[in-house]
Amino acid sequence: MSISVKSVAAESLYKRDVFRSPDPFAVLTVDGYQTKSTSAAKKTLNPYWNETFKFNDINENSVLTIQVFDQKKFKKKDQGFLGVVNIKIIDILGDLNDSHSTSTKGKEETITRDLKRSNDNLAVSGRLIVVMSRIPDSTTRSNATANTTSTTTTTTASTSSRSQQRNSSTGTHRSSRASSTANTNTTNAANAAAQSVENTLQSGTSTSTAAGAATTTPGAAGASNTNRQYSSFEDQYGRLPAGWERRTDNFGRTYYVDHNTRTTTWKRPTVGQTDDERNANTELERRQHRGRTLPGSNSTSGSENNVSVQVNTNSSTPAVNGAVAAAFAASGSTTSGLGELPSGWEQRFTPEGRAYFVDHNTRTTTWVDPRRQQYIRTYGPTNTTIQQQPVSQLGPLPSGWEMRLTNTARVYFVDHNTKTTTWDDPRLPSSLDQNVPQYKRDFRRKVIYFRSQPALRILPGQCHIKVRRKNIFEDAYQEIMRQTPEDLKKRLMIKFDGEEGLDYGGVSREFFFLLSHEMFNPFYCLFEYSAHDNYTIQINPNSGINPEHLNYFKFIGRVVGLGVFHRRFLDAFFVGALYKMMLRKKVMLQDMEGVDAEVYNSLNWMLENSIDGVLDLTFSADDERFGEVVTVDLKPNGRNIEVTDENKKEYVELFSQWKIVDRVQEQLKAFMDGFNELIPEDLVTVFDERELELLIGGIAEIDIEDWKKHTDYRGYQESDEAIQWFWKTVSEWDNEQRARLLQFTTGTSRIPVNGFKDLQGSDGPRRFTIEKAGEIQQLPKSHTCFNRVDLPPYTDVESLKQKLTLAVEETIGFGQE
Amino acid sequence: MSSKRISKELRDIERDPPTSCSAGPVGDDLYHWQASIMGPPDSPYAGGVFFLSIHFPTDYPFKPPKIAFTTKIYHPNINANGNICLDILKDQWSPALTLSKVLLSICSLLTDANPDDPLVPEIAHIYKTDRPKYEATAREWTKKYAV
Repeated sequence: MSISVKSVAAESLYKRDVFRSPDPFAVLTVDGYQTKSTSAAKKTLNPYWNETFKFNDINENSVLTIQVFDQKKFKKKDQGFLGVVNIKIIDILGDLNDSHSTSTKGKEETITRDLKRSNDNLAVSGRLIVVMSRIPDSTTRSNATANTTSTTTTTTASTSSRSQQRNSSTGTHRSSRASSTANTNTTNAANAAAQSVENTLQSGTSTSTAAGAATTTPGAAGASNTNRQYSSFEDQYGRLPAGWERRTDNFGRTYYVDHNTRTTTWKRPTVGQTDDERNANTELERRQHRGRTLPGSNSTSGSENNVSVQVNTNSSTPAVNGAVAAAFAASGSTTSGLGELPSGWEQRFTPEGRAYFVDHNTRTTTWVDPRRQQYIRTYGPTNTTIQQQPVSQLGPLPSGWEMRLTNTARVYFVDHNTKTTTWDDPRLPSSLDQNVPQYKRDFRRKVIYFRSQPALRILPGQCHIKVRRKNIFEDAYQEIMRQTPEDLKKRLMIKFDGEEGLDYGGVSREFFFLLSHEMFNPFYCLFEYSAHDNYTIQINPNSGINPEHLNYFKFIGRVVGLGVFHRRFLDAFFVGALYKMMLRKKVMLQDMEGVDAEVYNSLNWMLENSIDGVLDLTFSADDERFGEVVTVDLKPNGRNIEVTDENKKEYVELFSQWKIVDRVQEQLKAFMDGFNELIPEDLVTVFDERELELLIGGIAEIDIEDWKKHTDYRGYQESDEAIQWFWKTVSEWDNEQRARLLQFTTGTSRIPVNGFKDLQGSDGPRRFTIEKAGEIQQLPKSHTCFNRVDLPPYTDVESLKQKLTLAVEETIGFGQE
Repeated sequence: MSSKRISKELRDIERDPPTSCSAGPVGDDLYHWQASIMGPPDSPYAGGVFFLSIHFPTDYPFKPPKIAFTTKIYHPNINANGNICLDILKDQWSPALTLSKVLLSICSLLTDANPDDPLVPEIAHIYKTDRPKYEATAREWTKKYAV
């Protein structure tokens, strides 16, 4: 189908120069390859062009992009930019196949749209007015083609002549190019015209250089005569699929916008990529999300498994089966036990050397050493059978006992009967926790304590939330914001519109999964990816572009609280600093590492080197707000106070605080308001920031083989003893410890959907790396910027195990430093 | 912070321009510069003038400037988009570096390529195995695009 577009006018364009008005002209592009441009209006902020263009091969995904430029500054691609408007053609002209409908055929639609900014965030204002209409299909095909050809040739000619006027020194070269363009065959004509426009955009570079650079030699003119600047709908690999656009984020990373589904991705889409493939990826993410668990909490995300695990206390058979084992693999008790195995049991090893246990009585296998199982043994009435119950379903404390927290948030128990206190849970056999690292015990206990608090009890009644799958963000917003926090504490009943299925856990899990993908999607500008990698997210300081943003942050805070309250996991991982901020902990330079590694390194450099005469800083920072650079004082009158070697420590502190906290203060407050409506502040502070990440996101099943396979070594060989011991230790660990090792090394417990091969560092893909560094009496160190752990060459497996455990454990305390 | 530092660098560059390089803001945007580098005489880029676009981040000098060649160049460490693989523009950046020091480093990269850390492996391979061919192609591209 073909359409006609009349670029009528624009009004109230942004005035970039104080003393001069621009010469605005518009470039119209359909799907990135049919390009037309208007002539330039002279010296006005309200240009009137009234020029009509025809575009062919419009399909249901076609997007019309109209960019306005100042011709005086239009020397290079995107220079002199005055705004852009993207119009999805089907939205304006309706069903394209419905060509017989008289109501739509030939009808003119006048559209007024606000001009938008491009990626470089230059300020933009004003509106653009266009008239669009469909050209009836009765026009024969050959006619249409002929038309296009002539139009594009004209465009080519006019653009090239424009460039000649402006830059005579490149004249000969340019016109030969232009004529060769005109000679290309008709099918390529549109493409070539677009190319030619790109060339024109390029050709001015030399002029501007001559003006900008002081010592350019005259021979340099016309130097940059290349055509490798691509439009945002193509790149060196060719055109993107229809409806896709290429953009660059504020860290210079390329990402892709799918206007069809309103999503973004880092992965370049291919024309042949089907929805199935994308769905398969989502399905992978979904499965990973479902597999998440928490120790010490029985009905967490994996509840379907856990339901079957719940040992029937009336049953007389020892409930040792695979499902129980699975639950224990999650709750963590794979350390090897002592003494003889129970009768009928056998210990075996996988080819990888990992121990597992065969129960010949029930013909099942398990990773869990039966000597280490955390069971409460209660003798039945006849005293002949043993009833066993997993730790996670401990039930209430014995009468007269109370669970309390120390001021360092460690759980302890008070026995009011004997007026004594103990670290050990009276419901557990006293020998149980030996050999279990202290921190792990604490997290499990903290979760138990947390869950036992009255404020976290589910209220009687039901909380119904009904959403449309396709509209989950908006629907959930309406549904969750209209209810009181008390309502939201009732049993959650989620329903997807038009879908059967009662919410016994699975539906709400899906709800939180889908909703996390929406509300944290950088597409909505509320959150953005950190500079550290391409999956941890942080609050977008510029979210104010959405005037409703604070309401949304309150909503998101509520959703996060709702997930924690109802034991559902979100599929989202924040930068470490955000968890600290949620716990109202002071943000430090160390936290900058996860937010922006480059800034972190520079601030460190400042502290370690003399800055006298090297850095010219004051107690202020420059912040870019929609293209405008604003100077912010880091303390009163800061811009007039020099930073010296004496006061630089204060500067580094204030700068980190500003960069991480101050810029998102409002958003954070709204977010916390929502969160604390469900989770009281004094309860969540039981956890440290790493534990909070696990509480919100859950602990993933971590595949050691995949991890090992995508690990690099520096100074070590894979066959070295230390490396063998390292993996032996890690494979003996449970998922929580593995997750903590990941947090220690990479800053987040998240594993990329496609496994460890996709691990990212601050500068692109970065595999997990083990480097030989440090003295054997020291602990391993980590560099989260580079996903690297420095492992000293320990001389025996025991000291490696002990030092690694300690290092991973130690980092938990670093928030208290 | 950054604007003050960038203005200072501009003054310094105007007063004492680095050898065979030049740089200055494009229009009135202090954060967007353009630079030119003359191909070093002892390299196959001799006689060419290469243009670069420079974007200073607002966190400059805590973050390195973003620099890319706008002139096509045949070099193992510079790709078709003009991106440069140079450690001081990435993890080896230090706030003590200035644009003119960076430009000088790029100049020396033109003389001494680093084929062991290539951005364009094909060119690096030719550089290592058939130096005359690499030099001929580099010279040809220089003549075609940079003269």
